[in-house]
Amino acid sequence: MKEFTYYQPKSVDGAIGLLDAKWGKTELLGGGTDLLDLTKEYVAQPDKVISLTGIANFADIQVAPQTGKGSVVLIGAGARLAAIADHAHLQKIFPALTTAAGMIGGPQIRNMGTLGGNLCQRNRCWYFRDEHVHCLLKGGQKCFALDGENQYHAIFTQGHKCVIVSPSTLGPVLIALDATAEVQGPKGKRTLELAKFFFAPSGENEREHVLAPNEVVLSVKIPEKEGTRNASYEVRQKQSYDWPLVQAAVAFKADGGKATGVKIVLGHVAPTPLVVEAAAKEVEGKEVTDAVATAAGKAAAKDAKPLSQNGYKVKLVEVAVKRALLTAANPGKRQYWEV
Amino acid sequence: MATSWPKDRRLIGKDIPRTDGPEKSTGRARYSIDMNPKGLLHAMILRSPYAHAHIDAIDVSAAEKTTGFKAVHEINGAGKEVYFAGDEIIAVCADTEEHCRDAMRAIKIKFTPLEFFVKEADALKNPQSKTISGPAKSNVAIGAEATKGDVAAGFKDAEKIVEADYGMPVICHQCLEPHGLVASWEGDRLTVWASTQAVVGTAQQLAATFKARIPQVDVKCITHYMGGGYGSKFGPDIQGIVAAELALKTKAPVKLMLNREEEITVGGNRPSAYGKIKIGGKKDGTITAYEVDCHGSPGERGGATVNLGLLPYVYLDTIPNWKRKHTVVRLNTGIARAMRAPGHPQNCVLTDCPVDDLAAALGIDPLIIRRKNLPPNDDKVAQSDPTAWLGQRNNIYVRELDLAVKLSEWEKKWHQPGQGGKGPIKHGIGMAIHTWGGSAVGNLGDGQPANDATVIIDRGGQVIVQSSTQDLGTAQRTVSAIVAAEILGLKVSDIVVRIGESPFGRSSGSGGSTTCPSQAPATLRAAIAARDDLFAKIAAKFGAKKEDLVIEEGKVVDKASKKGLDWKKACAMLGMDEAKGVGAWSSNMANEIDPDKKILVNPGVSNVQVGGVQVAEVLVDVETGVVRCTNFVAVQDCGLIIDKLTCESQVAGGVIMGVNYALFEDRIMDRHTGRQVNPDMEFYKLGGIQDLPRIKVAMVDMPERGVIGIGEPPTVSTAAAVGNAVFNALGVRVPYAPYSPENVLNALAKKGAKG
Ligand SMILES: Cc1cc2nc3c(=O)[nH]c(=O)nc-3n(C[C@H](O)[C@H](O)[C@H](O)COP(=O)(O)OP(=O)(O)OC[C@H]3O[C@@H](n4cnc5c(N)ncnc54)[C@H](O)[C@@H]3O)c2cc1C
Ligand code: SF4
Repeated sequence: MKEFTYYQPKSVDGAIGLLDAKWGKTELLGGGTDLLDLTKEYVAQPDKVISLTGIANFADIQVAPQTGKGSVVLIGAGARLAAIADHAHLQKIFPALTTAAGMIGGPQIRNMGTLGGNLCQRNRCWYFRDEHVHCLLKGGQKCFALDGENQYHAIFTQGHKCVIVSPSTLGPVLIALDATAEVQGPKGKRTLELAKFFFAPSGENEREHVLAPNEVVLSVKIPEKEGTRNASYEVRQKQSYDWPLVQAAVAFKADGGKATGVKIVLGHVAPTPLVVEAAAKEVEGKEVTDAVATAAGKAAAKDAKPLSQNGYKVKLVEVAVKRALLTAANPGKRQYWEV
Repeated sequence: MATSWPKDRRLIGKDIPRTDGPEKSTGRARYSIDMNPKGLLHAMILRSPYAHAHIDAIDVSAAEKTTGFKAVHEINGAGKEVYFAGDEIIAVCADTEEHCRDAMRAIKIKFTPLEFFVKEADALKNPQSKTISGPAKSNVAIGAEATKGDVAAGFKDAEKIVEADYGMPVICHQCLEPHGLVASWEGDRLTVWASTQAVVGTAQQLAATFKARIPQVDVKCITHYMGGGYGSKFGPDIQGIVAAELALKTKAPVKLMLNREEEITVGGNRPSAYGKIKIGGKKDGTITAYEVDCHGSPGERGGATVNLGLLPYVYLDTIPNWKRKHTVVRLNTGIARAMRAPGHPQNCVLTDCPVDDLAAALGIDPLIIRRKNLPPNDDKVAQSDPTAWLGQRNNIYVRELDLAVKLSEWEKKWHQPGQGGKGPIKHGIGMAIHTWGGSAVGNLGDGQPANDATVIIDRGGQVIVQSSTQDLGTAQRTVSAIVAAEILGLKVSDIVVRIGESPFGRSSGSGGSTTCPSQAPATLRAAIAARDDLFAKIAAKFGAKKEDLVIEEGKVVDKASKKGLDWKKACAMLGMDEAKGVGAWSSNMANEIDPDKKILVNPGVSNVQVGGVQVAEVLVDVETGVVRCTNFVAVQDCGLIIDKLTCESQVAGGVIMGVNYALFEDRIMDRHTGRQVNPDMEFYKLGGIQDLPRIKVAMVDMPERGVIGIGEPPTVSTAAAVGNAVFNALGVRVPYAPYSPENVLNALAKKGAKG
């Protein structure tokens, strides 16, 4: 890793003051589970690393009850993934979030990794992570995955020059839950819907999100909606220490047996989390039966344009959506596919 | 006098915990990487980023100016070619790891990239091309064919014939402890702390390297603890030699251990094996013919892929007609190294998977076809040596099949292929069988056994077992203690075992499952010799005849007077002396025939060849293609078991590796960059505890056969058993491992397309 200067400011303003307006020279540090890897591989070579761990209350998880409306949950960007996964109240109201957080990596990753780092982490494309491969996203001429080893890459590739999959499993969940992020830059704070947080990069001056290089994620706010049902389902080759091949996050309101306000978001299939409205439509206003869930899965997968080696993921989208819906609709019930 | 194991065994064969468990689990055990002698420098190797390139120029001037830089050592200089991404070019040495890396990155190399192949299919499409080193004419070498019987007639005779593809990809060594060593010179004396499976061999190779320059060179290799080798660590390797060179140049100790990426790309790999197979048989289970046309890649430097002499595998002698053809495809990838039973897991998949498919075609339980084709006993051999494998193998397999059937509840759980349940989660059960050698190592060129051990008893009653042999994590240290304690009537914890230092005597590399069958008998003989020396030295003071002295637990007893003395008191009679015994052992001694009686001189001390039967149960999610191996039964023999606990542990470890071969491991090469895309533990997948089955190990103890090695056999048939279980669940053969969601769904889709 290249030598850098380490800072641990006590305030967000202090952190922002240290950040460069362009990508590359400075990096924020949450738990370091991603940034350290990138620096060791010389994929990131910052001159300054600015830790966020010195900022007070940055890791707090607050549940603010609102009269008659359910609660509002505010999670600090410094909250550890393990703290999110183990939070008893969150487990009750947002099982989609706590299961997704609880399945990330292994205990070491979850105990170090933070919410902010999870949302801002870089993609896992193996060409991108190899110092010796100069691909499009690193300022090179071509995307090596297009005609290379792409079994884990995007299957919704339309219009994308870089076919990474968005790595965050919390992203799709937070979008499904209508969460917003509060971010702060040199000009002050702004609130951003999670649905607008992620970005499909295609060059070295772009990231997998829309933040400016000198902006910091402060917190994520999730409104609890009455009667909310939500779930996240991951298809994984390994149960331990692995990435999902495909993920589906769903949320809806259980309205007298019918699902309304249905949101279905896919993870690990496109350069950003993918909101699939056609799939949500299949469920809207209906009881979530096996047939309805299956139809939603089919609708979700319909527009996939897989690459040479990842056609198998299309079927996984169908299954993940179906299973996420059935899980959300039947909380606490053992499902027929569970081993 | 003939050597034999004691008839009544107090410790041997019992469950005895590993004696160095506490050291290892508390972090007190010091591995090679933990050695930090004063003034230590760090070294790294700059490697080719290209799969094949010409080195035009190397410029180290900028590196020499970096902070902490000490020296370089060129491995492949300007004008040479490098043949895979990872091939060594030049090593750098600096005062810290960080400075070393900086210096390495400051070296400028000009390359001319050259044509390369990193995928078998591409090389096979260009059979004339040559992108590799050495005199070979092209990357592709079509091997000799071999035939037995009349294959065409055999297929004619068959009631059903199956033709299909099977295979396993290249997989990488993933020892937890990386390759490498710490080298330190004092005058002509070189000490290395190496992660090696061959303590003596490593010292010898290093000595040979420096002999011309330093005629008096004296090399000591130390390997007290080791984090696995599995066949990938038999010498100093290029990195070890380089570390010693740099230590010589800088006059300071130098550490060079590979990092994980290097470990995976250059630490050695297991060749792939892909075969087109045709197999035919009859309803009663008789296999009438088998034909295989296979290829595999051992990487750039060539070498074997499958074990061609043993293909078809266990049924080689039973199948009357077979034909085999094999093509070696050299690619611009890292070097193949022996990996736990080299060639055998591939052979097993290329044999036992088609056998199950044939059973399905014939509509019979695969157990029937296995029973029917088990290799026969050789009755002549059985008469001359009742402990020999050839005379017994049928009985052993039958016994093991029966046990595996019982423990796995095969009769209850086996169902027709594809009948694994109603929902998306399908149950499957599958079986495979294997064999392995595992004898003692023979005599060396000087006519002496390759292995010996020394047992020393001092006047305080302290017992030391000393040997240069190594404990790779196999529990050899514990085995040595058990054997000495058994003979001397002591507790295992009473014995001090000093191993892993090359001056401690003669020992061979730990390969081929030969260590225990070589070292345990050597220790037995050494302990007996030390005991007899003790008796001789104390008899007078004891007031007994030395022939009358015997060992009882914790005591030395005079048979004549019935007088017994506590061990320590007896040893105190040594006065200023000590008792000592040296014992050697080799396969030559195991096979020695009494010229008059025409029988073995030392029967039942060590032996060769074992069998094993494994049964896997899986649950396959047919909607996602995810396979979970849930239960596993491993039945295994290895003659006389010294430590049942660590022996079973070896078997469980073999199964764990095998499940990984079956479900997860895959070296993925990129055709355009020529680089491995998964040189890590993230996308080079390895199962965690949740991904592994409940493993039931059943050892079939055959003490009359003597000691036989256990390290390799239990990993051989695992992948084939899992593959067969997946077939049983789906009714569809997933042709290639790993049985990943991708490969499972693709196989199901193909079947669906066919109808
Ligand atoms: C084997 C393995 C499996 C994994 N599986 C999953 C998985 O299934 N799902 C998943 O989602 N993740 C997975 N991860 C990734 C893991 O979740 C991330 O590494 C982790 O969340 C990153 O958090 P961190 O705090 O350590 O980030 P860091 O490494 O500290 O930072 C990551 C990036 O985010 C930026 N950053 C950090 N905090 C902020 C902030 N507050 N504002 C703005 N920018 C910020 C940093 O500058 C950096 O660029 C896996 C990782 C591994 C190694
Ligand atoms: S997918 Fe993106 S990151 Fe990967 S090789 Fe292509 S351009 Fe680079």
